[in-house]
Amino acid sequence: MKKISVDHLARVEGNGGISATIDGKIVTDVKFSIYEGPRLVERLTVGKTPEEDVNIVPRICAICSVSHKYAVLKAMENALSVKVSPKVSLFRELMHLGEMIESHSLHLYYLALPDYVGFPNAIAMAAKFDLEVKIALEMKEFGNHIMKTASGRYIHGENPVIGGFGKFPSIEELIWIKSRAVQFMPFVLKTTSLFCELDYPDCPEDDTVFACCNPDQNKYGFAGDEIILSTGDTINKEDYKSLANEFVVSHSYAKHSRYKGEPYSVGALARVNNLGERLKWEAGKMYKKYFNPRWKKNPLFNNAAQALEILYVFERIPKIIDKMLKLPDPAIVLSKKKEGKGTGIVEAPRGLLIHSYEISGGLVSYTDIITPTAQNAEDIERYCYIAAQKLLDKGKESKIRDRMDLVVRAYDPCISCSAHMAEIKKAPLDDWRTKLDGIIKKGSPIFVGIGRGNRSDDRAGLELALELRKQGVTDVWLESEIIEVEVPWKNKPHRPLVFIDALDFKEKPGKTILLPLHYIFSNTVLSHKLLPFISSDMGYERLKNSFVLGIQPESIEEGMKISEPVRQALEKVLEQIMN
Amino acid sequence: MEKGSKEKLKIGIYELTGCAGDALLILDCEQELIDMFKAADIQSFLMAKSDNIDGELDVALVEGSVSTEMEKEELLDIRKRANTVVAIGICACFGGIQAAFLDKKDWEKNFKKVYGDNKMTHTKPLQSKPIDAYIKVDYYLPGCPIGKEQFLSTFNRILRGHPPELYRFPVCVECKWNENDCLLNKGIPCLGPITRAGCGSICINHNLPCVGCWGPVEEANLTSEFHLLREKGFDYDFIKKKMANFSGTGMADFLGELKGEKK
Repeated sequence: MKKISVDHLARVEGNGGISATIDGKIVTDVKFSIYEGPRLVERLTVGKTPEEDVNIVPRICAICSVSHKYAVLKAMENALSVKVSPKVSLFRELMHLGEMIESHSLHLYYLALPDYVGFPNAIAMAAKFDLEVKIALEMKEFGNHIMKTASGRYIHGENPVIGGFGKFPSIEELIWIKSRAVQFMPFVLKTTSLFCELDYPDCPEDDTVFACCNPDQNKYGFAGDEIILSTGDTINKEDYKSLANEFVVSHSYAKHSRYKGEPYSVGALARVNNLGERLKWEAGKMYKKYFNPRWKKNPLFNNAAQALEILYVFERIPKIIDKMLKLPDPAIVLSKKKEGKGTGIVEAPRGLLIHSYEISGGLVSYTDIITPTAQNAEDIERYCYIAAQKLLDKGKESKIRDRMDLVVRAYDPCISCSAHMAEIKKAPLDDWRTKLDGIIKKGSPIFVGIGRGNRSDDRAGLELALELRKQGVTDVWLESEIIEVEVPWKNKPHRPLVFIDALDFKEKPGKTILLPLHYIFSNTVLSHKLLPFISSDMGYERLKNSFVLGIQPESIEEGMKISEPVRQALEKVLEQIMN
Repeated sequence: MEKGSKEKLKIGIYELTGCAGDALLILDCEQELIDMFKAADIQSFLMAKSDNIDGELDVALVEGSVSTEMEKEELLDIRKRANTVVAIGICACFGGIQAAFLDKKDWEKNFKKVYGDNKMTHTKPLQSKPIDAYIKVDYYLPGCPIGKEQFLSTFNRILRGHPPELYRFPVCVECKWNENDCLLNKGIPCLGPITRAGCGSICINHNLPCVGCWGPVEEANLTSEFHLLREKGFDYDFIKKKMANFSGTGMADFLGELKGEKK
């Protein structure tokens, strides 16, 4: 995960994919990878003037370029103590709503809908849904038109600057946008119903934490000065690292803990789940009509949430324009400040976007940018894992690829990714050997043998642990020696932790697998024995560096000897570790 | 390309490292998109479709800079499969913003600052370079992102077997067509004189200086722009940085020469 969390520097919108590795009846590995090359954007902004930085950073991502522009402007204006007039704020909001229309309609109609109606792409879908595809294109173009009006062009426009805008639109232009927004309403309402009524599969479903900007005055919206979580907690934007850090370092997967510790999701679904009660007008009615508890568990409902947001946006635009028409065009506010620190947070169409800067001597000295897809990566992997394992349990292996595709795409992780194919890999024979070697190479692991001594194969973990000790391997523990207050892995976050256990995964006796410890949580068959060991102080980092080496038992009856296949498996594992 | 053949041209659109803005701009041709898909056989376009084929191509449009070993291999493969390769956007043409580290050591130092000692297991990172650092490029379509008008005209001409006709003059020419006041005359640092036209002088139309995002125009008088900005009171470092922001490796030689000018 660490790899992905730094990949936000490379732009995450481009090349990526999801892969699941299957070993018999167990999914042993799910990876959401991003193949985009390194761009070092946070480094190449250092030494630039704030104005240059505002030109450069939106180039991280074309589809969210307006959100990046909005976030960097807010951050820079905080750092340089620039206060902009209400008309500037309104025009920025309008520009941002243009991006929401463009991005959401592109995602819903071009990328998501073909999956649900069975076409490889929107152009092919046009044969059957001619009218929908054409009007959706018009709607997308309208979003682009708003962005062009506000920023200068569709993508990477430079009209929004620190302190205001180079140029404001004419009254005629504003009135045209308003009337166009009103004209679209019948199609927008149809869009909302269409996507809220789609038959979303009930796998994967699981709880998660949702995070988004908390707009002022208890309103719905896409910007604010604090972050609100579905747990009810709020975080000031300047403290954004307490969200990110908690996530990376000290978070736990434990199912009984549903607080900050869990990976979180951002995006339209997070906004609707956290702020949906604040929706008014038609959007409020639609929310009341369609919202149900599954929205809080199932990432596929992000499509429905985006459709609901399109409706909110189309109702909001005329109100913004009415206000703008009453205000004069303000001049650009200049700042003489040469030092400062500032953070800006906004909602990109695909979720919370954070920009933070330090300026010294009039030049940028520090840049930190956290993109939505980097935040979602962890939950994308988790939901894909749940989907893959559940489908495998039901014997529907052939459906895994498409379902993972559907999950990744629902997160709208920036468009290039979402058109990529999901990949299913068959684990090679004795896959555990390569993995175990990898773990041993990373740092000498701590081994913990688990089992009950009087129950034949159930004592496999204990036997192996004792044998390892005999051979002189240090830091080997038995289940009974683990005391919660002083666990052996305490203060050793970088050393891998390997639990050895007899695991019934319905395979041939003696078959061995190695999988990440946290996968155990979503697998009810495997979880009952190991769960008590995962104490709540097992932080996120620790969990990510912990594994289970499982051996399929033949029998766990009381008083029997270890069976022959398991005995042989233990010898192989021992040999592999000692090598 | 056979003339008069009724076979549709096979076209592939590829993205290397960049913001995907050029591919997105192609999708943004809302009114023309369906016709485009009818007029040509779009074999591969990851952003738009999932049934992609990597076979022989008449034309490959390539966006983004080469920033990993895997991308380098992919690019070499595209060149082998395609009769004509068109670089689209400044990342493919000049390396883009991510090619601003001209010095390899500087790049390595910054790479380490961002990624630490983490080993990238999937593919080896490379210092960002334009695609012509590795393959022969037939045509260049610059822009950040590319402009719709130039793209559609290029696309049409290529479909008919003609070379594209691009603007070979700086932004200043378009700026005059648009009857803007010259910002340089007002002492505002504008890169219009050395930047390739095609955007329609959009920033100056909005009372803002050109930031140079379409990359350097051929035969630009870089020395003259440099001295003009010096006369307007800007210092060496400021000018150098400004000129380098979007030029990628496109004016590396000139920026190298500038070192002598510092004192």
